[in-house]
Amino acid sequence: MELRPLEHVQEPNLIKEIFPHSIPPLIRFEDRIRETIDGEEVEFDPRSMIDRDIHITDTTFRDGQQSRPPYTRKQMTRIFSMLSKLGGTQGVIRQTEFFLYTKNDRDTIDACRNLGLRYPEITGWIRANIGDFRLVKEMGLKESGLLTSCSDFHIFHKQKQTRQQAMDQYLEVVEAALEAGVRPRCHLEDVTRADLRGFVIPFVQRLERLTENQSDHLRVKIRLCDTMGFGLSFPNVAEPRSIPKLIWRMKEECGISGDRLEWHGHNDFHKVHINGATAWIYGVDAVNTTLFGFGERTGNPPLEGAVMEYIALKGDLCGIDLSVITELAEYFQRDVGASIPANYPFAGRDFNTTRAGIHAGGLRSNEEIYTIFDTRELLGRPPRVAITDKSGTDGVALWVNEFLGLEGDKRLSLTKVVKIQRWVMNQYEKEGRLTAISEEELEEQVELHFPELYAQARSRRK
Amino acid sequence: MKKEEIAERVIRVTARELKMSEDRIQPEHHFAHDLGADSLKAIELVAAFEEEFELDLEEEEALKVKTVDGAVDYFAELLPE
Repeated sequence: MELRPLEHVQEPNLIKEIFPHSIPPLIRFEDRIRETIDGEEVEFDPRSMIDRDIHITDTTFRDGQQSRPPYTRKQMTRIFSMLSKLGGTQGVIRQTEFFLYTKNDRDTIDACRNLGLRYPEITGWIRANIGDFRLVKEMGLKESGLLTSCSDFHIFHKQKQTRQQAMDQYLEVVEAALEAGVRPRCHLEDVTRADLRGFVIPFVQRLERLTENQSDHLRVKIRLCDTMGFGLSFPNVAEPRSIPKLIWRMKEECGISGDRLEWHGHNDFHKVHINGATAWIYGVDAVNTTLFGFGERTGNPPLEGAVMEYIALKGDLCGIDLSVITELAEYFQRDVGASIPANYPFAGRDFNTTRAGIHAGGLRSNEEIYTIFDTRELLGRPPRVAITDKSGTDGVALWVNEFLGLEGDKRLSLTKVVKIQRWVMNQYEKEGRLTAISEEELEEQVELHFPELYAQARSRRK
Repeated sequence: MKKEEIAERVIRVTARELKMSEDRIQPEHHFAHDLGADSLKAIELVAAFEEEFELDLEEEEALKVKTVDGAVDYFAELLPE
């Protein structure tokens, strides 16, 4: 091994081209990715991502709602308008889908449409039978998802059909959609556990044949549904779990272009976000998500994660307003009654809260050391510290200064707040405390030691 | 301020903060190694010196002072005769 010489530098190398701090850290690819399919090496070029119209679709009101009590119309309308603001006018959050089965579902679609927002576009979701298609026509939707289960687990054991019967039924509904001028989006349920050669590819080829002569707005879309979270992102994984191979076969063997492919994942194996990002990288344009990952069982790709990935891949905010993530998290917890774990990325109460004194020391000297990006500016969430016996005087100083809203030279030094830190340590060393110090207790200490600053801070907050 | 007075006051404050008698403290003593001042005690000592000498100290500089002698020199520079 040849020892590399230490490079002496006058200025730190903070690798700003990847970690700009003003936006989330960027993802840069240096070359193509190779995959072996049927003994041949094929290539994918992730650098094409910059120019491709990748986007996010949302299923908060469909799959997201399957995991919880129904939202009220008012809640859905409010969430819809926040989705629109979050995704911006370039339509990064391109579509959201609704159930069509209840009057509340249909009235909500009308209420959302009446908001007059360009994005997200409203689409429907129905089971693949002709009777249900009447609902799509009545609502005047331009596109609807159709449940087209494609593993033998579903075809044989759930639907009690043969493959021929299942395919005939699905194709019949797609033909009905086309006759009504509605774009069919076939949801290949359980595709990561399906016989690709024996059913999925023959079925999708027939779908493509059915719509290949239609105008663009009626050509079939394919949603790849990783219903049980079996999909794998790694190169050269065996089918049917391989996401790269599945995408390649859809495009190369079935003729479905990336703009008509969508990924829909589940989190049963903790792979939900990375599988969605993988689908983007290997050529699918749309990743289907839900807010905070709420969805059937373990949930779907979290929309907030997809938004961050989008920015990282594009290298730009692209009109996205990240502060809406904070608004949505507050709304879901306060008005919808949902619970978001404290350590949940980007939205949980403690996602940028440190408890370690050494981290608090770093934060105090330069926020970039222990923050993932400028969460204060982009999310309206300054980094915070939770005070325990491990957070140190640095932690107390950071907490007190944030609470008092002090900036620059006005910020209190360690020596000014050390009496509060002594009180904190006495709680643990003398009182035998085992819990974190609450914000209310810290406020009391601030009031005790800095009565004037405390009064000013309180009056500002009012 | 005279250096002798500074030394006397540094030792008095150190003894009070570290809860030991003044005659145990020698000029060459290291606050952490010889007198047992941990990181929290070190900040408390700086805070006590600020109060004693009615100074607003540059925190990082003050925390770099490691010995009793060093503290005397540091304050002698800030409080010339």
